[in-house]
Amino acid sequence: MIPENFIQSNLQGISFIGPELILTLAILLILLVGVLLPYWRHRILFTILAVAGLAGSVLPLWKLPQPAPDLTYLSNLFVWDWLTFLSKPFFAVVGVLTILLTQVTGEIDNSEYSECTILVLAVTMGMMLLVASTDLLMIYLAFETMGILSYLLVGIRARDERSGEAALKYVLYGAFTSGTMLFGFSLLFGLAGSTDLLAISQKVAFASQHPQDRLLLIVAILFFLAGLLFKTASFPFHFWCPDVYEGAPTPITAFLSVGPKAAGFVLFIRLFYPLFATGHDATIYEAVSGLDWPSILALVSAITMTLGNLAAIHQNNLKRLLAYSSIAHAGYLLMGIVSLSDLGLRSVVFYLVVYLFMNVGAFAVVAMVASAGGSEEIDSYRGLGARAPYVCVAMAIFLFSLIGLPPFAGFVGKVYLFAAVIYKKIYWLAVVAALNTVISLYYYLRIVKAMFLEKPTETIQIQVPLSSRVLLLALLVPTLGLGIYWQPLARVVSGMF
Amino acid sequence: MNSLYTYLFLAALLFSLGIFGVFQRRSLIGMLIAIELMLNGASINFMAFNRFLAPDPIVGQIYTLFIMGIAAAEAAIALSIIVAVFRRLRSINIERAQELRG
Amino acid sequence: MFFDFANVFIFIILGLLMTFVIITVSRLLAPRVSDVPDKFTTYECGERPVGSAWILFNFRFYAVALAFLIFDIELALVFPCISVYHKWLKAGSGLFALIEIAVFVGILFLGLIYMWNRGDLKWTKEVPEEMEEGLVLEEEKPITF
Repeated sequence: MIPENFIQSNLQGISFIGPELILTLAILLILLVGVLLPYWRHRILFTILAVAGLAGSVLPLWKLPQPAPDLTYLSNLFVWDWLTFLSKPFFAVVGVLTILLTQVTGEIDNSEYSECTILVLAVTMGMMLLVASTDLLMIYLAFETMGILSYLLVGIRARDERSGEAALKYVLYGAFTSGTMLFGFSLLFGLAGSTDLLAISQKVAFASQHPQDRLLLIVAILFFLAGLLFKTASFPFHFWCPDVYEGAPTPITAFLSVGPKAAGFVLFIRLFYPLFATGHDATIYEAVSGLDWPSILALVSAITMTLGNLAAIHQNNLKRLLAYSSIAHAGYLLMGIVSLSDLGLRSVVFYLVVYLFMNVGAFAVVAMVASAGGSEEIDSYRGLGARAPYVCVAMAIFLFSLIGLPPFAGFVGKVYLFAAVIYKKIYWLAVVAALNTVISLYYYLRIVKAMFLEKPTETIQIQVPLSSRVLLLALLVPTLGLGIYWQPLARVVSGMF
Repeated sequence: MNSLYTYLFLAALLFSLGIFGVFQRRSLIGMLIAIELMLNGASINFMAFNRFLAPDPIVGQIYTLFIMGIAAAEAAIALSIIVAVFRRLRSINIERAQELRG
Repeated sequence: MFFDFANVFIFIILGLLMTFVIITVSRLLAPRVSDVPDKFTTYECGERPVGSAWILFNFRFYAVALAFLIFDIELALVFPCISVYHKWLKAGSGLFALIEIAVFVGILFLGLIYMWNRGDLKWTKEVPEEMEEGLVLEEEKPITF
């Protein structure tokens, strides 16, 4: 039976998904404009509409009540806590940067541009829904909204052979892993008889005491990991990553490397901590008894970062190299997840914010060089420092930050991650991560060396338009600024958990 | 016969067949069908658990309906990507998609 | 008891009527071409109705099939709303639920209009002249399995 105040409470709850509704309206508006006007012209119009939609989507956030960990709405489908509150602007920024990068590099044809903006907005909406969900059904729907549309986004240059092949690999891997995760969901639903995470967590805590139910939990956790490790591009589900990142248009690659990856890590926090860890109010969590998933994840983390860094050494295509670097960074980020403490969670969120600017920055430079007459191969970067000093200095800063050198933002982020594992006394993982940082020094510096210390092999003048320079500046400021003055971000993040 | 375990066994069988199919098939359409089998296995799990363990909230049935929707969307998009790739390669054999490697 | 049979009877009548209406409308709307022999085959769309079914279908069929799939699934998602609709009516909020369903279907229809506008429902897709310059026609390679 429908309760008396059902519609009333639903209408109130709708105001909490204001950002998603505004994004939906923006998507419909762009669709309509694409029908009414000749869609292969007016590129700038679609950009303005999309950026306005993303900017408008964060406006209603400040009119909503103070976030609280137990404030749920729309029949417990969503939670309104600080993680939700701060993730939505984060994903909006990811979307805006992607659309601006697509606009300035012109890598996607005008005939596909309106669809590209629609898809970026829709994936952003999926990610926003995902971070707020506390229900297995909603998590699955948002996860697939994000996933299915990003398959299309990878294959948006349908005429390009590499783009199509990348999309093909992405869709097959993605559908396979999300199907596996769904089977894990169905097992947990069978255990609890409910899709509400809170109800399931109570059942899980109860079931973990009984050996006969433990097997089911272990299987469920392993199936969950398939979906999450795929999205975050971690071992053993990382094989798609280099191919997809290389084949996709560069702005889309940048989008995938920060958007869905961040959503995957937030889902780790949303799914694994309430379900498979106890002590939610304390600063230290404990894995549910009998299931040592943190140890498995620690191993995965170590293998992921080592594999990513070792494979990156041999790469000559910059997008492929950055793809392997992104795998390695997934390994670093997993360190925060395995440390099972608030410190670890904070460091993950902090690093994701920092990673957004430096990684999009590195991909932005790759896209700009490629669109200004160069290529994605490392050969076209030889001696580039003399021909395009501004872009190359920016690239060097992004790469130094990715290595984790002071005084750049990546250094602070890595310090937090290392602190989290050392605090938890997982020393071997910290040592592995430190060794990996040294390995990564080699291939990042190889690019810097090519840019500044080697003789140019070609003498094409590289012209970077003003709009690209402004966008690069917008990415440089946080990369440098957060490296020197990171306390405000650290304070915001520490309020979350 | 009409017990929970019959259905769970059927679901697990469908799911494993799906996984086997994904690894064994070389045709893109075949792989897509195998993935649909995996989703159907999960659907049967949801329906069976809903029927035998938690009959009151119909959330399991709703979940199955949404899985159908998602599976259709996934199939539609995978098919459109396969069609786009087919136009280029003139083949639906996965082994021919080997432009990207290294 | 008799009321139930009346229901069934009405449905049978409606079903027959529907078939009749659809055939009549298609008769009225369809262009009359009498000198094309393909028009008299069973499927009218160029595939031979007799012979092996293990052929590679023209991939233009897929585009239409995908559009159909969306509305096929829409039915599955609207169905649960319909099955609880009388509860909504009792709670005095039938209009609210109706509008919600209308919004859902409306968004899908916008997608259909978009597809139509792009020419994806036509057998030969027409590309606007301004865009034609950039297009490279693909050479037809032989099909391999």
